[in-house]
Amino acid sequence: MDSRAPGPGAGRRAPENAHDRIPDPGSRSPQVAEVQAPARPPQHPKYPWPEKPRLIGTRISRLDGPLKVSGRAKYSYDIARPGMLYGRILRSPHAHARLKSIDAAAAEKAPGVKALLITIKPGDKILYPGEEIGALAAATEQQAADALRLIKLEWDVLPALATVEQAMRPEAPQVFTPANTRRGTAQEDGDLAAGFTAAAHIVEGTYSTQVQTHTSLETHGSVCEWNGDNLTAWVSTQAVHGTREGFAAGLKIPQANVRVITEFMGGGFGSKFGPDIQGLLCARVAKAANAPVKMMLDRKEEHLVTGNRPSAFARVRAGVAADGKLTAFDAQTWGTGGAGAGSDYPLPYIYTFPNRRRTHTDVYINAGQQRAMRAPGHPQGCFVTEVLMDELADRIRMDPMEFRIRNLPAPGPNAMWAKYFPMGAERINWKSRHVTGDPAPGPIKRGLGCSANRWGGAGQGARAHCEITADGSVVMRCGTQDIGTGNRTIMAMVVAETLGLEVSQVTIEIGDSNHPFAPGSGGSTTAAAVMPAMRVTAGKARDALFERMAPQLGVPIEQISIGVGTVVVSPSTRDSLPDGPAAARSGQPPASRSISWRDACRLLGTVPVSVDGQWERGLSAGGTSGVQFAEVEVDIETGITKVKKIVCVQDCGLIVDLKTAETQCYGGIISGLNYAVFEERILDRNTANMVNPNMEWYHMAGPSDIPEIDVVLVDQPERGVIGIGEPPAVATAAAVANAIRNATGVTLRSIPITPDKLLAELQRAGGTN
Amino acid sequence: MPVTLTINGQRHQLRVEPRVTLLDAMRTRLDITGPKRVCDRGACGACTVIIDGRTYYSCSMLAVEAQGRNIRTVEGLTPIDSATGATSRAGGVAQGKLHPVQQAFCDHDGLMCGFCTPGFVMSTVALLEKNPNPTAEQAKRALDGNLCRCGTNIGVLKAALSAKGVVRG
Repeated sequence: MDSRAPGPGAGRRAPENAHDRIPDPGSRSPQVAEVQAPARPPQHPKYPWPEKPRLIGTRISRLDGPLKVSGRAKYSYDIARPGMLYGRILRSPHAHARLKSIDAAAAEKAPGVKALLITIKPGDKILYPGEEIGALAAATEQQAADALRLIKLEWDVLPALATVEQAMRPEAPQVFTPANTRRGTAQEDGDLAAGFTAAAHIVEGTYSTQVQTHTSLETHGSVCEWNGDNLTAWVSTQAVHGTREGFAAGLKIPQANVRVITEFMGGGFGSKFGPDIQGLLCARVAKAANAPVKMMLDRKEEHLVTGNRPSAFARVRAGVAADGKLTAFDAQTWGTGGAGAGSDYPLPYIYTFPNRRRTHTDVYINAGQQRAMRAPGHPQGCFVTEVLMDELADRIRMDPMEFRIRNLPAPGPNAMWAKYFPMGAERINWKSRHVTGDPAPGPIKRGLGCSANRWGGAGQGARAHCEITADGSVVMRCGTQDIGTGNRTIMAMVVAETLGLEVSQVTIEIGDSNHPFAPGSGGSTTAAAVMPAMRVTAGKARDALFERMAPQLGVPIEQISIGVGTVVVSPSTRDSLPDGPAAARSGQPPASRSISWRDACRLLGTVPVSVDGQWERGLSAGGTSGVQFAEVEVDIETGITKVKKIVCVQDCGLIVDLKTAETQCYGGIISGLNYAVFEERILDRNTANMVNPNMEWYHMAGPSDIPEIDVVLVDQPERGVIGIGEPPAVATAAAVANAIRNATGVTLRSIPITPDKLLAELQRAGGTN
Repeated sequence: MPVTLTINGQRHQLRVEPRVTLLDAMRTRLDITGPKRVCDRGACGACTVIIDGRTYYSCSMLAVEAQGRNIRTVEGLTPIDSATGATSRAGGVAQGKLHPVQQAFCDHDGLMCGFCTPGFVMSTVALLEKNPNPTAEQAKRALDGNLCRCGTNIGVLKAALSAKGVVRG
């Protein structure tokens, strides 16, 4: 492997680093089944959440809805600058090859071409299809595409590894240095031999999950514009500040010279945390062409090079005692995160196996590298463990939900499954569940399944700046971003709550690295990082307003408080005492008086309130738990599964906007449904080229595939704000797989559960009944 | 070659290469960016427009083919409110000015990142102009040409079934 090749940590954002950005306390020691103690809010924050909120916890429609439904929200993909050129990237057509020669002379002279860069030289190797070789910018997209085709490349095509099986064969060509696989050390706890001795039944099997790609609808890319040495970049990113840092490091310019803007963003799901190679190439060709350049990837590039969820395989042996207690878990696991990237995941998931051992092996193949994807690792570990749990439950003839409850870790605020399972069971009508294999006649088999999930969701470090002006305007600026979660809306809710206003009276400015620092939006950390900053900064602005008002009103600051659309001045404590002078005069306690927000702000004159604030401890936490149930219908003649209903019981601390929180759950569940029965990156076994790099053969659920979804959000206001983006995406696939097993009586240990796999398994089992 | 396109009631004259799609002509030449380029091959519906009363994938139609036809994009549903103007700041489009389908998408949270939303809105408008009271099955069928990655489908379906006051097209 040459020095330019993408080994772990070799210049690119290695997946380990991506994981570091996602503070999920559970995944740091993946084997540990016990749930770690949640981050606890300390006792006395200066600006605590209101005990009886007016807005928080209600249903507020997204503030950017009108702009998005009217097509007027401008995404990075929609930005047009005067004189803007269009960039394209030259990519490797091969999975593993050494460049013999390159001739770009014709392309350089092609019509419309303004700049061309080649980033590799003869002798260099590429390690996956789509790896970047160079880039150019031309006046139109068509001219850019034409010019790319004029570049002549000669390659020595080398043997490629397209599957984990190919890479793990002893006779496999050595493609990666030092080896095609990297075996981790065994993680062990308890006494495995004793655990298996205590087992009344043992289940053995090999489980697997597929590679899926993020498939964000807005592809990765940017518009880069230079003004002298200063770069402004409109980037489709989950981290405006992280991307500023990435541009500065990659281009060797000061961060002060870089401004990154992401006003609206068309989905990232963990794959968009920096400028990436395409962002740096865009900036470089823009510099060379001396013109703004738009360089957005196309759908195929998006599938090949912008990340994916690694595959997971697990050869498991697990034991259960006659009383339904788990005794032992022994697993060899492996998976691929592509060319030189890891594939670890938490296993066993949630349930307590007192004696366990697990060894994970990363397998490298000639495919694009993985990146964090919506709850990295968890859907894999959840699927393997939860299907195994149903098999074990059948061995001891116990209801699978009862069996799960019997083997849960100790309950806690972030470990509420024992309470949630019965809640979900009620809503899916679990008592109607038949034992494995629907006994009903006919080809349509119905079944129910369940599973559980956990996630971190803590965040910190966000900063903000708040201005209140004499006309009553409130502007909150924060360098966070709204990647579709509703962040902008819940920010406005917290600010409006704190200042006694409506959300429409608050202006939220985000998505700009010129705003105060906020962390990237990953790991469901954004709400927990940003909402405390909103509460504290708005609280400080409110206090500053009171401080300015007090001398003008001639009252002490303690007598001023926030009403609804008003500032309230209470009578003094002395006045309000029954024997105080005012009471003595009128015989009534003196009334407080309200000043409209507008009139109160008018007292500011020309100098606005202008305060900085930041995240403080005690207003947010981490650690969530949830359960899901699935109801399916399987046609055993066609192998087609129809998911009828999903029930989700989920907590996320203090719920800010019930409407957008529920939508997050719907979204997570639908992504889990895709993982269960539709999505799969398919590589040609001979060339390692992706055969479905599009959106018709890379299957995703369409409107007719969407089941009824019943979401129960459990509010835990005492815990503060916790993120909700990822938790509901974890458990769906396992619940669906278990429901299919319950319906058909055959065990599919591999997702996606496509009709071909299901029919083959049904045939092996001799059909149902 | 010269092309004349009638989009949202407005005539545009432009010169494009024959191979340029209607989608790319609108986006790169006319700054009509509501229709999105996502799959660019007629699978995802993010570029959906209504032409002569029917939905089309504008990525799969050449600009030259669209001449002489009545093309409607999501922008045409909401004339810019001259009082507030359409700014890039959230809330720039006045709430009261939205088309009933757009309002229903907002009310039922039928959007997240919003990239698929213009396509879903246009497919819903086309459906309701033909059939103002669809069943859930009819609505799903009519929207099956559109994909969402965030998973907003639950809100989208509620919006399609609740939007009222769409004039029959």
